[in-house]
Amino acid sequence: MFRHTPLRYAALVLLASAALFQAFTAQYFGLEILTEILILAMLVLALDMVAGFGGMVSLCHGALMGVGAYGYAVLSTTAGLTPPVAMGAAVAITAGLSWIIGAICSRSHGIYFIMATLAFGQMAYSYVFEAPIFGGDDGLGGIERLDLSVVGIDLNDTRTFALFCLVALAAMYGLAVVILRSGLGRSFSGVMHNEQRMRALGLTVWRVKADVFGLSGMIAGVAGVLAAQHIMYISPGLMAWTVSGEALVVVILGGLGTLVGPLVGAAVFVVLKHELSSLTTHWHLIVGVILIGVVMSRANGIFGFIEDFVAARSKSANTNPKAREGTKDA
Amino acid sequence: MLETRNLDKSFGAVHVTRRVSLKLERGERRVILGPNGAGKTTLFNQLVGELTPDSGRVHLAGEDVTALPVAKRARQGLSRSYQKNTLFDGLTVEENLGLAAAIYTGNATRIWSDSLGKAEVREIVRDVANQVDLMPFLHAKVSEISYGVRRQLEVGVALATRPLVLLMDEPTSGVGPEMAKGFHDLLNNLPRDLTLLIIEHDMDLAFDVADTITVLNYGEVVFDGLPDAARGSDLLKEIYLGSWEDA
Amino acid sequence: MITDLGFWTLQALNALQLSMLLFLLSVGLTVIFGLMHFVNLAHGALYALGAYFAASVAAMWGYWAALLLAPVAVAGVGVLLYSGFIQRMRKSGPMAQVLVTFGLIFVLLDMTRIVWGDLPLAIEVPAMLGGRLAVLGVEYPTYRVFIIVLGLVVLGGLAFVLGRTQIGAMIRAGVDNDEMAACLGINVERLFFCVFCVGCALAGLAGVVAAPLLSVSPDMSLQILIPTLIVIVIGGLCLLQRGVAGALLFGFVQTFGAVLAPQLSSVLIYALLAAVLVIKPVGLFPAKG
Repeated sequence: MFRHTPLRYAALVLLASAALFQAFTAQYFGLEILTEILILAMLVLALDMVAGFGGMVSLCHGALMGVGAYGYAVLSTTAGLTPPVAMGAAVAITAGLSWIIGAICSRSHGIYFIMATLAFGQMAYSYVFEAPIFGGDDGLGGIERLDLSVVGIDLNDTRTFALFCLVALAAMYGLAVVILRSGLGRSFSGVMHNEQRMRALGLTVWRVKADVFGLSGMIAGVAGVLAAQHIMYISPGLMAWTVSGEALVVVILGGLGTLVGPLVGAAVFVVLKHELSSLTTHWHLIVGVILIGVVMSRANGIFGFIEDFVAARSKSANTNPKAREGTKDA
Repeated sequence: MLETRNLDKSFGAVHVTRRVSLKLERGERRVILGPNGAGKTTLFNQLVGELTPDSGRVHLAGEDVTALPVAKRARQGLSRSYQKNTLFDGLTVEENLGLAAAIYTGNATRIWSDSLGKAEVREIVRDVANQVDLMPFLHAKVSEISYGVRRQLEVGVALATRPLVLLMDEPTSGVGPEMAKGFHDLLNNLPRDLTLLIIEHDMDLAFDVADTITVLNYGEVVFDGLPDAARGSDLLKEIYLGSWEDA
Repeated sequence: MITDLGFWTLQALNALQLSMLLFLLSVGLTVIFGLMHFVNLAHGALYALGAYFAASVAAMWGYWAALLLAPVAVAGVGVLLYSGFIQRMRKSGPMAQVLVTFGLIFVLLDMTRIVWGDLPLAIEVPAMLGGRLAVLGVEYPTYRVFIIVLGLVVLGGLAFVLGRTQIGAMIRAGVDNDEMAACLGINVERLFFCVFCVGCALAGLAGVVAAPLLSVSPDMSLQILIPTLIVIVIGGLCLLQRGVAGALLFGFVQTFGAVLAPQLSSVLIYALLAAVLVIKPVGLFPAKG
């Protein structure tokens, strides 16, 4: 189950201040990068929720985000719904689809779960790619942002939109924490540790998995809606499995199952990408090397490494004999 | 309360249970004895639904549950503990018990509230912790408690679903004779209306708890009766004690 | 068109050719997973490397030299990968293995771009295999017939080695129970190493063979990865016959799907995979353990 430690609070405060500072001081390009980070952060938050706390390593979260984006685009342009309704409907569709995928894949584990989610993600991708209503390879343009002028907010302003995304991310983070700390979240973690035992205790395991997966998909759907509004144009590339793969890489780089770590990972990843791609066209090479290094070091990503480091420091600071007591398992 | 009729299961050519019929009354404490490989755990797995018998029926509280999946049987009042600890290592004792109690009280799937914050869950946790002597360890993590206490917790987690029938697979497996004795006192102090079916390896300890004894050998019930009769049975000595020495 | 027997024969041959290519790729991966429980996503990158090596060698000494040398070179890369990463990651969980090999894809992809550039390369079909052959009443490119035959030869060779030789018996023992095999005095580590190298060489061979059909480009490895994984999941992570079954199923669904329902063809293959996993959550022919 998820717990807030002082270190995690500190990291959150630091991240939020950095984002706010950036939002108020940066120019156009800096704001674009900030928004990109915030949307990616929301996607990896959704992924960490299922992968880090329930062992459901999904390779379809990119596609789910795409469903949210395409849902919003089609509903707000072709179907002519107003942006708030289209947003709600797109998020609901993504959550529903995600729930179904979670329910179907709930019996698969390990590499088979990865493959099953990949199959569903690719199915969505292929369908969007082929179907004329989604604009095929050309994608869809002319997507409008939410109109908040009634309360005096203009989201077409880059700075305002970045702040809007920040607020949305904070809300989704809060939601994820509430879910993970709820009865459902506890059961979900219990299932990750020992599915058979939870079943023997009377838990309907597939329902728990599907529910959390659906909620995670909902957050991915919100990220998708924001992504569509951000660029105001979408193409099937958004749904390719490599997007999901990249999200997984960010979760791992940040720290699986820490919720805060993937947010750090998203910031590092986007900044690194922009910095490196201005230096070299081979930035994937460097990301690959870093990924291999992180995984082989056996640290749980950047944030996991910091947590271990801090824990080791405080342990050696107060020599606590109790911690070594009574751990003789057969 | 729990009844099996002619449970048959084989893996390939190996018969693991043969026409096993048992009948437990409400509140009865029955111990299953038998050498290694006699089919005791396989029988348990069929009772709780982790294995499907080739033929035969399982009845729980008068209802045929043979076709029900594991989770449904558990919700109808059938709980089990495992021979190897199946605890949630990163969690505290309280949280371990809470996971089970939350399932029983229907709090395990609520999105907006923490199950451990519910009064009904806390009450069960406290209750069970008292029953299996876990009060002093309530806030310790599983990794911080000794093996013997973990065995108590293993039974405690199974108890926290408020079962009608509790199946225990070698609850004292791996603990020393001294502690095992204490463990049996603990079992004797469980509520009298709880039906217990216990796999036990140690014959003397089994007689501490048992109202009735069933002996399995090669998947077959070879004895079914009162402990005193079992003690005097030559058949039992022959098949059980013979292999007990080298077990 | 649909009623024409020749049309069906042609498509069946196309499907068979695709299946054989996928078989060459997936058999290495399957055996590596079955024997070592190692999930190697970088297998597709080895295939791309095979194609690139082939392009370079073919430019100097022609296609036949490439067919011989490129698999050897890929096996050499395999040796490096094995001693650098695989050996150390053997005991880690599947998740860590997936991630490390995913990172390896990134690295190998960019390295091929650095060495060979971004532009696609082409390999000429050797003169001997140019032109067309009459097969079962249809005209079919000789080179594709060559791929089918090569696939069948490799299949036959592997079936012989696995079924009839001592090494094959050792490998089968290792797949069933590696600890037991070690107890029987089999040097499991060395066996793993050899199998890994052979698997890499086969991936390289698939790369060489595919090169004249496709243009050799950096994203070959990503394009082939998903089909290969699908073949393995459909076929189950087990030995030969299952790999063949998976490859054939994929090849035929893909080929006939593209012809009969072009709109749905790409969705169809993923639907097949999803259906397999829904019915059998651990693949059609589950691996043991």
